[in-house]
Amino acid sequence: MINYIKIYFSCLHTAFSRAATYRANFILGNFITLLSNIIFPLVTVLIYANGASFPDWNMWEVLLIQSVFSMSVGAASMFFNSILWVTMDHIREGSFETILLKPLPTLFYITAANFDPNSMGLFLGGLIMTVISAIKTGISGTENIISFLLLFISGLAVMSGMDLIMAAISFKWVGNSRIPEIFDSIKSFGKYPLGIFPKTIQTLTSLIIPVAVIGFFPASALLGRLDVMMFISVIPCFLFFAFGIWIYNRMIKMYEGVGG
Amino acid sequence: MSDIAIKAENLVKSYKTYKRNSGFKETVKSFFKRETVTVNAVDNISFEIVQGTICGILGPNGAGKSTTIKMLCGALFPTSGTIDVMGYSPARDRKKYVRKIGAVFGQKSQLIWDIPPIDSFAMNKAIYGISNDDYKKRLEEMTDLFDVGEVIYKPTRVLSLGERMKCEFIMAMLHSPEIVFLDEPTIGLDVIAKNKIRDVVGEMNRKGTTFILTTHDLEDVEQLADNVIIINHGKKVFDDTLSSLKNTLGSKKIISLTLSKPYAGDSIGGAEIISRESELDISLEVDTERQEITDFLKSLTSHVDFRDISVKELPMDMIITRIYNEM
Repeated sequence: MINYIKIYFSCLHTAFSRAATYRANFILGNFITLLSNIIFPLVTVLIYANGASFPDWNMWEVLLIQSVFSMSVGAASMFFNSILWVTMDHIREGSFETILLKPLPTLFYITAANFDPNSMGLFLGGLIMTVISAIKTGISGTENIISFLLLFISGLAVMSGMDLIMAAISFKWVGNSRIPEIFDSIKSFGKYPLGIFPKTIQTLTSLIIPVAVIGFFPASALLGRLDVMMFISVIPCFLFFAFGIWIYNRMIKMYEGVGG
Repeated sequence: MSDIAIKAENLVKSYKTYKRNSGFKETVKSFFKRETVTVNAVDNISFEIVQGTICGILGPNGAGKSTTIKMLCGALFPTSGTIDVMGYSPARDRKKYVRKIGAVFGQKSQLIWDIPPIDSFAMNKAIYGISNDDYKKRLEEMTDLFDVGEVIYKPTRVLSLGERMKCEFIMAMLHSPEIVFLDEPTIGLDVIAKNKIRDVVGEMNRKGTTFILTTHDLEDVEQLADNVIIINHGKKVFDDTLSSLKNTLGSKKIISLTLSKPYAGDSIGGAEIISRESELDISLEVDTERQEITDFLKSLTSHVDFRDISVKELPMDMIITRIYNEM
């Protein structure tokens, strides 16, 4: 275990020296991701500034949902979104062996070696906005914060699960760079108060592909608007994660030529 | 009796691929219905490699060399047959096994593109859990051998191919592997870089490392290998010592000529004409054991006028044809 932590930190070090090589690119990249993600909450501010609103939600509460969403997506792309792109590239170029040559679990090595410092800006921006919105809405209560953390981690689980599933598909279906776009669109449902959607979409986004767990549920937990549904949706999140790991590892086995 | 490092028995690796003929109509047809074909990239190969030796695996492009190496490295499971390397079954025991081996793929970089090789080495140090002392000692030894003391601090992307390959070697050998697999390590390199790499491989081998190298450069094998395995169309066609290969082939050279005027005969100065690319471009085969090359050139100039001449080793496809004919 200690070894793995050491390896992870060494890989982090490498990732940062990579980012430092292209300083301008690193700063600009962070800035652009942050900007493009901040424009969205600005729309919320505009809506409220013009007298419109999401029913039952004030502006800072909606901003909290969107900040948590940004923070979650930022964490995901920092820690494990690389699984998808790195797998796709290696499969297309036929160089997946270089990964199999490392004496490490494949998924651990890919995520460690491809930590993405360029998403730090998004994560930190989301974090700062979350803190500001939380202060403005006046959150309190330890159990709310614990529920928030549980739901936040579940949100990461569903995103990593999706990444793994899409990466697994790329073993068979080489070069499908459009598939992730579908999930990106579905993910957007997590940015809004769930109540504004029809019942079908509410069920879909909390139980089938639980993207509500990425932004809406953890933010609601922070606000003390807890609901049993939120905790039920943790189950499909971890099912996604487990299924993702299973199918990815199975695809590696197929790549190596067992079965298939 | 020397120790066997690698033992492969009845190795088979088959792939399913899709067959498609050329042309637009065929493309459209293949979009809806594709015909699968099973191809045996490696077809029932068995061999043994003795510890501490250098074994060359030769063969033309697409012969199955790389597939064989990938199976030996643990990256691919054989479709059938068994491999035993130092008591491990490579693909099954992959994580434990790859710790003991190193691999250099001539066409696939393991260095990280944007940063200096030294940073990639440091990452491997952590991955393989190399101690600080060992790392320092090994790195110094390897950089001295390859003469890349300065190079390892420059970003990988600005290195020349030769410099990069030397760093790939260091990357693969930092953890002192007992067996090193080299897949076309000298591909695309100039003579100086090739020689340097061959020198180091020889040096490391004297210190006890076993090397398995695939190549289609006969010179790599001539200068390094103790044993040679030749593969063609997935089948083993030769497996013996280098000297035995030389005996089989003799010391033959190919001489290509561009003549000044057409020549009609079947041979010139005792050497047979083996191909005619055009009226004026011909190739001759000379056995330098029977006839000194200088003597041959003298008789050549007295028989024909030519504008251009080049002397080459036997190309891979001819070697294979010869071996087929001999056996």
